[in-house]
Amino acid sequence: MHCTMDDLLALRANEGSAWARRHLDECSVCQTELEALYQRVARLKALPPLGPARDRWPAIRDAIVAERRRRLRRWSGVGLAAAAALAGLIVFAPFGPRQVDAAELARAKQQSATLEEELQRYGPTGRVMSGRSAALVAELEDRIAVIDGELARVGGSAAQLRHDELVTLWQERVTLMQQLVDAHVTRVSYVGL
Amino acid sequence: MTISLAVPDILVARARAGDLEALEALYRAFETPVYNLARRMLRHPEEAEDVLQETFLEVVKSIRSYRGEGPLWAWIRKIAASKALMRIRREQVRTAELLDEETAPGSPVHKSLPARIDLERALEQLSETSRSVVWLHDVEGYTHEEIAELMGKTVSFSKSQLARAHARLRRMLEKEGAAP
Repeated sequence: MHCTMDDLLALRANEGSAWARRHLDECSVCQTELEALYQRVARLKALPPLGPARDRWPAIRDAIVAERRRRLRRWSGVGLAAAAALAGLIVFAPFGPRQVDAAELARAKQQSATLEEELQRYGPTGRVMSGRSAALVAELEDRIAVIDGELARVGGSAAQLRHDELVTLWQERVTLMQQLVDAHVTRVSYVGL
Repeated sequence: MTISLAVPDILVARARAGDLEALEALYRAFETPVYNLARRMLRHPEEAEDVLQETFLEVVKSIRSYRGEGPLWAWIRKIAASKALMRIRREQVRTAELLDEETAPGSPVHKSLPARIDLERALEQLSETSRSVVWLHDVEGYTHEEIAELMGKTVSFSKSQLARAHARLRRMLEKEGAAP
């Protein structure tokens, strides 16, 4: 009985069984087969590299440029809206009648965290959704990202934003998070966008 | 084929910043190795070109996540291999490809097999799964564990595919003459 291809491959990987190693020492047929295996692999490695018939870079470049334009359009729209909202908030909020306190800010943060957890539990990344839902989710995530950007920018500095303005930002985040959860968990139509 | 591709760090940094010229330079540096890998795994040249394109779009999208832990080629190669294997899986779903063509002696592959073939053509006679395993293991140097992970299969699947592929290559090349 001679070595099988499995035996020869195992021998090549220094994982051969005791029987295979002993047999190889004594069998010229299997020695020739193992040598042929080494030569075959050497010939595989020596095969000339194949190149593509067509240049694919122009198509790749066009796709990159198109994606950048799409992002720019989306972000400029969302950014302008957020900037306008924030400007209105800063200008008009001081004259508003609302009295806010630290408890309200803590409540908004807590609600936001609860919704984040709910979304995590739902595991949205592993689920399939329709194109319409995916577009809506992307839109909501962008809006949340803009608010997060503003929150990160002010960095909790009391000098840059008043307490009630901070609360408004957090409440806006909670609203968007709720819509995001709705978009994932329930139906798109519930969100009303 | 041994690939030794060293890319300057500054080029990678520029590519990560989205510089189109740097991205094109990366594409030019890895175009042939990526296409070659895909072509050795897939039966059709057009599909290999599609993998080349998909791979670089993924590279552009994800290059910020490349932290330079290993060679850039290893990172790009893994993306390319995954893309090619994804196509093979899709094709298998469509055609319910037989894992071992030896069980289908009446298949067109067998009918068209010439009496004398060289290694290049012998490789093309293997199923896409078998040739992928052979190429990834014997040429690219992937371990059976890595191949199993890439393919979503077991280590023993990878080992048995390699053994069957070599047995088949050996028989085909025997017809060629004394070549191994």
